[in-house]
Amino acid sequence: MLEATGLVKRYGHVTALDGFTLSVAPGEITGLVGHNGAGKTTFTRIVAGLAAPDAGQVTIAGLPPRRAARLIGVAPQEISLYPAVTIRETLRLFGSLHGLRRKPLAAAISEVTDALSLGGFLDQRIDSLSGGQQRRAQAAVALLHRPRLVLLDEPTAGVDPQTRRTLLAALRQRAADGAAILYTTHYLPELADLQATLAIARGGRVIARGTAQQLLSGLPGQVTVDLGDEVLKVPATDTAATLAQLLTSISKPLRGVSVTEPSLDDLYQAVASHA
Amino acid sequence: MRDGASLSTTALRVAALTRHNLLLRRRDPANLITYMIIPMILMWLTKPLLTRLMPDAGTAQDVTGPLVFSSTLALQIVGMSLLSERTWRTWEMLRATPATAPELLIGKAFPVLAVLLLQQGAVIGYGVAVAGLSVTGPFLLLLAMLVWSITLLATGSLLATLVRSHAQLAVLTDLGAIVLSTLGGALLPLSMMPSIAQHVAPASPGYWAISMLKAAIRGDAAATLGPAAILGGIAVVAGTTACLRLRRGLAQLKS
Repeated sequence: MLEATGLVKRYGHVTALDGFTLSVAPGEITGLVGHNGAGKTTFTRIVAGLAAPDAGQVTIAGLPPRRAARLIGVAPQEISLYPAVTIRETLRLFGSLHGLRRKPLAAAISEVTDALSLGGFLDQRIDSLSGGQQRRAQAAVALLHRPRLVLLDEPTAGVDPQTRRTLLAALRQRAADGAAILYTTHYLPELADLQATLAIARGGRVIARGTAQQLLSGLPGQVTVDLGDEVLKVPATDTAATLAQLLTSISKPLRGVSVTEPSLDDLYQAVASHA
Repeated sequence: MRDGASLSTTALRVAALTRHNLLLRRRDPANLITYMIIPMILMWLTKPLLTRLMPDAGTAQDVTGPLVFSSTLALQIVGMSLLSERTWRTWEMLRATPATAPELLIGKAFPVLAVLLLQQGAVIGYGVAVAGLSVTGPFLLLLAMLVWSITLLATGSLLATLVRSHAQLAVLTDLGAIVLSTLGGALLPLSMMPSIAQHVAPASPGYWAISMLKAAIRGDAAATLGPAAILGGIAVVAGTTACLRLRRGLAQLKS
């Protein structure tokens, strides 16, 4: 669905993208992670047709971004909604711009607001909603016209757990229905919830790509053995084998044993710091 | 067209944008109401003086002066309608839809043009009903109001692409409106202003607007079209510059 190859984007002397390559297949959720300045937002803007790359190529279902706008749903990093209008009026506007009219539009509004638990707030003005409700309203704009590619740039920044759960559930459903989802975040446990494949960006390019399991496989965990007078902390790629080896080699009585498997945070730190 | 839009699709999108922008105007009517009331109060205050000073043309001056003064203040409505899209970050949301840049601009311009015409129409209507203004050329006057509204729309759009904040826009439009409209003879007849001001007055769009509106009110087509052409030229230059800057995206402008 999304194919981006060798994208380069410069702002004056700053190189925001430096050979950024990434693809997202239909039904796939890709979590794009990286430090601030890694190029995530610039990449999202180029895919959405809001900026043009200086070099490289990007297509959505074979089309360049500016000709594929009806296939894309976008939720930018910051709330970007009209404060003085209601959720229903907002969705009517964006639905109309995507070609939805009358009954299909009403059905789409009903479907997306149900999925995002916004049904009770449809006729409330955006500026009267809580931060979490505004986030969900913004996501509703992105999902309303059932886009084949959904771009979400940190959609859960500053929201409560309930909003996060609701949004992630809606995204899982859309992916199950065949949409390709590009999800930018700093909050890695969400990507585990979404069972997303990962793309780690650094310095304007993707430096690691794969499933969490693939990327975590080479990363060491840790076996911790508490002997009372000392605590042994042993890094281990195969934690089970290491634990078994430790247990057979230690003659003292044990006060406690724990095994820590590598997390997405460890992976991110390892890859982003040393690449 | 951005994604191969047909003419009917374009019309539907422009209609949706126009409806939405009218809704935004309805939700925030304070400026429009203010710019309707100001000229009515001015007319009431200055009518006795102007009719005594200008027995033949005092009423026309009493209506067109405050109209031009208040409509230049209404530049702020035009500028705000564009600048707010940047403040709310909604311009990028709109640009990410299949709507093309011309569709977005037309959908934005129609409601603002309607607001400017409504404001001027209300002032003229008040002038006829209360100040005793006699309009000989109603269609010519409508044309003159349209030309002046388009000039304001283009100029206000350009201002919105040049400033960084609402505060800057307010300063620029307030100062510009007072200087340009006063210099053009909106608050005092030109004949009562210092001779240097009388010589500089033609540099002000307000001067041409007052000349055009007065000529249209008395039904003088020839005297209406000259100033209309000059204002049209100003509108084309300002509008083209604004469109070129808007194509780069409001978010990247001067910030």
